[in-house]
Amino acid sequence: MSALLSMRGLTRRFGGIAAVDGVDLDLAPGIITALIGPNGAGKTTLFNLITGHLTPDAGSVALAGHMIGRRAPHHIARLGIARSFQDLRLFARMSVRDNVLCATEPASWFWQPGGKAARKARAERALAATGLEALARADAADLAYAERKFLSLARILATGARIWLLDEPASGLDPASRARFSALLRDAVADGVTICLIEHNLDIVIELADRIAFLDQGRKLAEGDPATILADPHLAAIYFGERA
Amino acid sequence: MIAYLLNLAQLAAIFGLLSVSLNILIGYGGIFSVAHAVFFGLGAYAGAHVALDLAPDILLAALAAALIAGVFSALLALPALRVRGEYFVIASLGLQMLATTVFTEASDVTGGLGGLVGIPPPTLFGVSLADPLVFLLVCLGALALALAVVRLLMRGSFGRALMALRDSESAAEALGKNVPLLKTLAVLLGGAGAGIAGALFAFQEAFVNVESFTLDQSVLIMAMVIIGGAGTLAGPLIGTVLLLALPAALTFIPGLPPTDIGAVQQLIYGLAMTLLMIFRPAGLAGRRAGQR
Repeated sequence: MSALLSMRGLTRRFGGIAAVDGVDLDLAPGIITALIGPNGAGKTTLFNLITGHLTPDAGSVALAGHMIGRRAPHHIARLGIARSFQDLRLFARMSVRDNVLCATEPASWFWQPGGKAARKARAERALAATGLEALARADAADLAYAERKFLSLARILATGARIWLLDEPASGLDPASRARFSALLRDAVADGVTICLIEHNLDIVIELADRIAFLDQGRKLAEGDPATILADPHLAAIYFGERA
Repeated sequence: MIAYLLNLAQLAAIFGLLSVSLNILIGYGGIFSVAHAVFFGLGAYAGAHVALDLAPDILLAALAAALIAGVFSALLALPALRVRGEYFVIASLGLQMLATTVFTEASDVTGGLGGLVGIPPPTLFGVSLADPLVFLLVCLGALALALAVVRLLMRGSFGRALMALRDSESAAEALGKNVPLLKTLAVLLGGAGAGIAGALFAFQEAFVNVESFTLDQSVLIMAMVIIGGAGTLAGPLIGTVLLLALPAALTFIPGLPPTDIGAVQQLIYGLAMTLLMIFRPAGLAGRRAGQR
């Protein structure tokens, strides 16, 4: 299956340190790919390079065969690549509904493409799917932790993006919330969304991922199906900090 | 006494418009500018020149002031908007210092320290607006229009986008918001509003000089927004009325020598700002600390 999003030789250095070092990675359409690796492996930096929040020093990113590297983040977002952040970055002083409505309005001008009713309906669907309908009028800053996580997901859902890049979206969730979260991701994939997930909780990775890429010190060390990657003792030693 | 109160009410409406325009930047866009008096000044000089050199038509003067202040604000802000947060505050401070010098030195245009004098009373399509009550109604009309525009914009997608970048620029970008464009539009709108306030001020005073457009004035406008409640519709108005009424009220305190009013005023401002930041950091019209 041809990749929807392809990275080739993607590199980013901070001073003398290569945070991402020549990474080749393909995201196949309609599956969940998990990025795993120890802290400092370059996972979030890789997301930042894809979304334009950082400019690569070398390498390329292609969306369905078209080069998108070095574009501004808002251009890349409008191409249908949505992301979440580890620290969520909600619009804290806006209501839950406005957070989600904002995600349906890509233009920065005084008017928006598409009909107002359609955008509003999409926002309401995202609120319903994430169980936030009853909290729609609350300020985002007043939400409980799990609700904030779901709001972050509702914003992505409301964008209508084809590719979701999720940075530790399930960390800190209680078991019930985690089950809701997993169901939401499976529904999205069933609707044709392609997901790339950074996750430290290997139970979630095993439960959700169709494919795993293992990163360490900026380099991709391995890529394959979850059973193969997670059974590799060398990778396990690196992951759990037991390298020689 | 009535003339004094009418004068105070006119000033309150003009400064209300000024703080409402700054609120677009500070309250909704999270863009902390300490150069708003520059655009107030540009509008005042533009309005004064229209009145002195063309015709004292208030609509013509307001349009010219909005255009000049709006365009200059966007042009001057473009390089400064590339920097974030506190760096923009410093950049705007530099702009304020630069503009004060230019206003003082460019005497061919601004009249220098002597200013522009003899600005004729305003008219509208040939009808005189010289009566203080009529002029007050015009100022209140401009303020009401500005409030309506801000309310409309902030309830729509533009306002949501602006508030989104205030709360998190990177998340706003990740949702497709063009942050430099949004900031430029906010600065342009805020600058245009300040320009209109400047034109009204020129007619109200019948005289403009650089002393009305200094850093002190920028800080006063910022204090009006923050004390009242940045990011709320009513906040800047509350702040404006309080900060304009305070010096006026002090003059009525028996036994307080007029020479001490300035010092007492500074003490009250300082104390009020400190207490407010502790107990009500979102301003008088904003939410209380810890309020859900």
